[in-house]
Amino acid sequence: MADTLPATRFNPWSATIFTVLCVLAVLFLLPTVGVLLSSIKTTREISMGELWSLPASLYLGNFAEVLGSPAVHQYFLNTLLVTVPATAVSITLGALAGYVFAKLPFRGSNALFLVIVAGMFFPPQVILVPLFRLFNGMGLIDTLWPVIIVHSALGIPICVLMMRNFFATVPNALREAAIMEGASEWQVLTRVVLPLSLPALAVLATLQFTWIWNDFLWPLIFTQSDDKRTIMIGIVNLKGQYSVAWGVQGALSLAASLPTLLVFLFFQRFFIKGMTMGAVKG
Amino acid sequence: MTEISRRGVLMGSLAIPMLGMGRMAWAQSGEVTISHYFTGELGLKAFNEQVAKFTEATGIAMKESPVGHEDFKTDILVRAAGNSLPDVFSYWAGARVQFIVDSNALHPIDEMWAANGLDAVIAKPVADSATLYNGKRYLVPFNYHYAGMFYNVKVLADAGMTAPPATWDEFLALCETLKGKGIAPITLGSKNRWPAQFWFDYLLLRTAGPDYRAKLMSGEAKYSDAEVAAALAMWKDLFDKGYFVENANADDWTDASDKVARGEAAMTLMGTWITGYWNGNGLVPGQDYDFFEFPKVTDGVPNAAVGPVDGLVIAANAANVAGAEQFLSFMVSDAGVQAAWANAQGALSANVNVDPASYNAVMQKAAATVAAAEAFAFNYDLATPPPVAEVGLSMFTRFIDDPSQAEAILAQVATDAEAAFKE
Amino acid sequence: MEQHNRFWRIALLSLPLAVFGLFVVWPLFSSFYYSFTNWNGFDPDYSFVGFDNFAKIATDRLFLQAAINTTIWMVAAIVLPTALGLMLALLLDSRVTGARVFKSIFYLPICLSAVIVGQIWTWIYQPDWGLLNTIIAQVSGEKFKYAWLAKPDSALWSVIVAWSWQQTGLSMVIYLAGLTAIPGDLLEVCEIEGASPWQRFRRVVLPLLAPSTVVVIALSVINSLKGFDILYIMTGGGPFNSSDTLAMHMYNESFKKYLMGYGSAISVVLFLIALAIIGLYFRQLRKVDRIYG
Repeated sequence: MADTLPATRFNPWSATIFTVLCVLAVLFLLPTVGVLLSSIKTTREISMGELWSLPASLYLGNFAEVLGSPAVHQYFLNTLLVTVPATAVSITLGALAGYVFAKLPFRGSNALFLVIVAGMFFPPQVILVPLFRLFNGMGLIDTLWPVIIVHSALGIPICVLMMRNFFATVPNALREAAIMEGASEWQVLTRVVLPLSLPALAVLATLQFTWIWNDFLWPLIFTQSDDKRTIMIGIVNLKGQYSVAWGVQGALSLAASLPTLLVFLFFQRFFIKGMTMGAVKG
Repeated sequence: MTEISRRGVLMGSLAIPMLGMGRMAWAQSGEVTISHYFTGELGLKAFNEQVAKFTEATGIAMKESPVGHEDFKTDILVRAAGNSLPDVFSYWAGARVQFIVDSNALHPIDEMWAANGLDAVIAKPVADSATLYNGKRYLVPFNYHYAGMFYNVKVLADAGMTAPPATWDEFLALCETLKGKGIAPITLGSKNRWPAQFWFDYLLLRTAGPDYRAKLMSGEAKYSDAEVAAALAMWKDLFDKGYFVENANADDWTDASDKVARGEAAMTLMGTWITGYWNGNGLVPGQDYDFFEFPKVTDGVPNAAVGPVDGLVIAANAANVAGAEQFLSFMVSDAGVQAAWANAQGALSANVNVDPASYNAVMQKAAATVAAAEAFAFNYDLATPPPVAEVGLSMFTRFIDDPSQAEAILAQVATDAEAAFKE
Repeated sequence: MEQHNRFWRIALLSLPLAVFGLFVVWPLFSSFYYSFTNWNGFDPDYSFVGFDNFAKIATDRLFLQAAINTTIWMVAAIVLPTALGLMLALLLDSRVTGARVFKSIFYLPICLSAVIVGQIWTWIYQPDWGLLNTIIAQVSGEKFKYAWLAKPDSALWSVIVAWSWQQTGLSMVIYLAGLTAIPGDLLEVCEIEGASPWQRFRRVVLPLLAPSTVVVIALSVINSLKGFDILYIMTGGGPFNSSDTLAMHMYNESFKKYLMGYGSAISVVLFLIALAIIGLYFRQLRKVDRIYG
């Protein structure tokens, strides 16, 4: 890795690259700086067109308002209660199916795999009404269950795709040796293949966590009372019929993106390794 | 060790949502469920305060579900399609309520209306236009708004305006003066399309009159008529003379209002909710801003006021009809609730018992203007069926982007609107 | 042995298939049912209209516009972040100092939600005081007030830029991973053999990155569908439907015009198009497998 190499002598080529990267980094950071600026300005300042100027004073009222609100704490808790289980379940289901597609293929398994992967390709609004009817019939509306279930189900295609590809890179000989020694298929999966797949799991965990955390369509439709809402609904609902609290929205948005950033930083080490191995076989 | 504890955390978080999740029915008995679009800092807080008054007075608990304005449209339709409408929900009076009434999804409230003597409580022009559908009452007006020409007092005083322009020529002269001073006469924030509709509404109402407009809105008259072309030509004239700000389609209505507040521009045709927005930004009603009526254009045309009515309606299959009716009656009859709500929203109350003195100076004038008007008309997207409204709203932004295309645009809209009326 | 395999196939597949079937496939097909009706969503009564809704699609001007926009969006929203991400990955792979910091900076936008990304880019494109016009005015020394999001010529592309900004980090991370897997000696050999840097990239690095590209494109496709949120927030399909996509058109017809039946018909067509695309994708995938597998 780059970080572990001994420092080399001055090299004009790498100095150029460094400069280019610095410029790009500044360009990339600008919009994020805008979010930051909006969060430390009052709504009034923003409506007066003073968003992009450097703040005269540091206004922390937005953050105080957001972080001190019990409703916001509830939103964070609900989002976590949705995101963690839905991430875990979708990856688990993806691993189960992916194992079959990779190691126990059968006639028609490729077609089945294709149908599942095709599930990534339609706008979710298509299934809003039927799903609402289904969950309403089950009496689950205004609980977090439908949100968890739908995210678990909609996560299956990408998880199956990634897990199948990753499992395919684990040598078949390993599985056969384990079976010879009397291990069951379940033991092969959980004791042999999965431990080797920790990186792929980390990749999926990061992606699924980020996507589910940032979604607002499903919680909007399936939850109704305020104490069941998620953080994204909280952000959207800051927009009133005739007003928007820009500053508060900026602060809440920043706070809301922290968990996904932390998840990325935490899994980053595995992430790289996961991609290397998983990507090997498309 | 770390593995185990991490797994423990995971399992724990899996277990927590199971608590309190098994509840079968959303509403507890006696409770009334309500969905509404009163969100944001001002809306939700003020609404909750009024609901608390109802609960205190009747002992009936309300189970609330606030959803932002735009998302509300999706949410309520999904719930209707899923046969699970809340007992009570907020909705926009006019063609949209008509649409749900025609779909048999609303509960008529004639008995409740009579029993509570609401005829004596609700101002007649609003009651007539907003609550009756197919001969029955379905809605109570929770509040309403009026669209007028809101302006920056200082800017217009500097331009030498002593009295509001009473005629179209006076209005054009005022614009010319402002333009000469380097100030944009009129701002328009049509990014989200709807702010443009008030121009079309008023120009048509002031030239062809309320009766013709009602026909156009219901499909009896056509967009290829000379009346529509004439109204659009007047609007185009304002663009040609350079009285509108540039890039109107890039601005939200708040951007347009901010330009007036900052004094970069003079006026904007907007609903009374602008007062709530400006007050929130520290402007003083009557001193910093004021409004005048859209000027008279053609003599002999009845004077109409334009605005939306936020209503409360009851679902046809409501679980708690009695409680829902009590809620509607209380929210519209209680003068204290109405006054507090109207003030928080920068809106007007349809309740005749609300003391006009509870309004600020500008809103008092707005209330008087509506009372003096010969007709109250809903703004475009509430006056015509939703599929047609979509066609018309797009037409406005297209026209604003390139007014020289007015005729071509109108020809296209005439075809599209005819098709949309058939939906 | 075959019996053993069959048992495990059923045991391992039944749960994922059940969940997927019940909560994705079944709702999908039941929504297709409405495409043959004139249902409006509110009315419990509706009638069957046969293929009328599909016939209407053929004459729907806005559908055609939306189909074109969807194609532009999908292609650009896949190509731009992929190309940019690859470029960043190549730059970062050359053992530059502070690679870790750069990586985090480029990845950061992915953590932000659609709501705030849409809002902040709206502020960047704001014609009067937006960041972009301010910078252009500073550089050119002239007043510049172009309304990026309000002009039909630029609205869709302006959103695509915002979208690329958000997504580039993801493809960068994946390509970086792919690059670390390429053995260094291989490149050295090429260098000794006298291959130019471009030849090395074109003939060695790019083919070896093909599997990463497959992953990047798969993720981009899923993501570009999610990206409609940003489009919706920034332009709402406007001005006057010039940036409508098929998903948005379906949403407008179903939820704003209350034409649930017609909206369902649009989604059926959308689904069929998607199936065709994924068919192509898989054919491509098999080719990659054959060549490099």
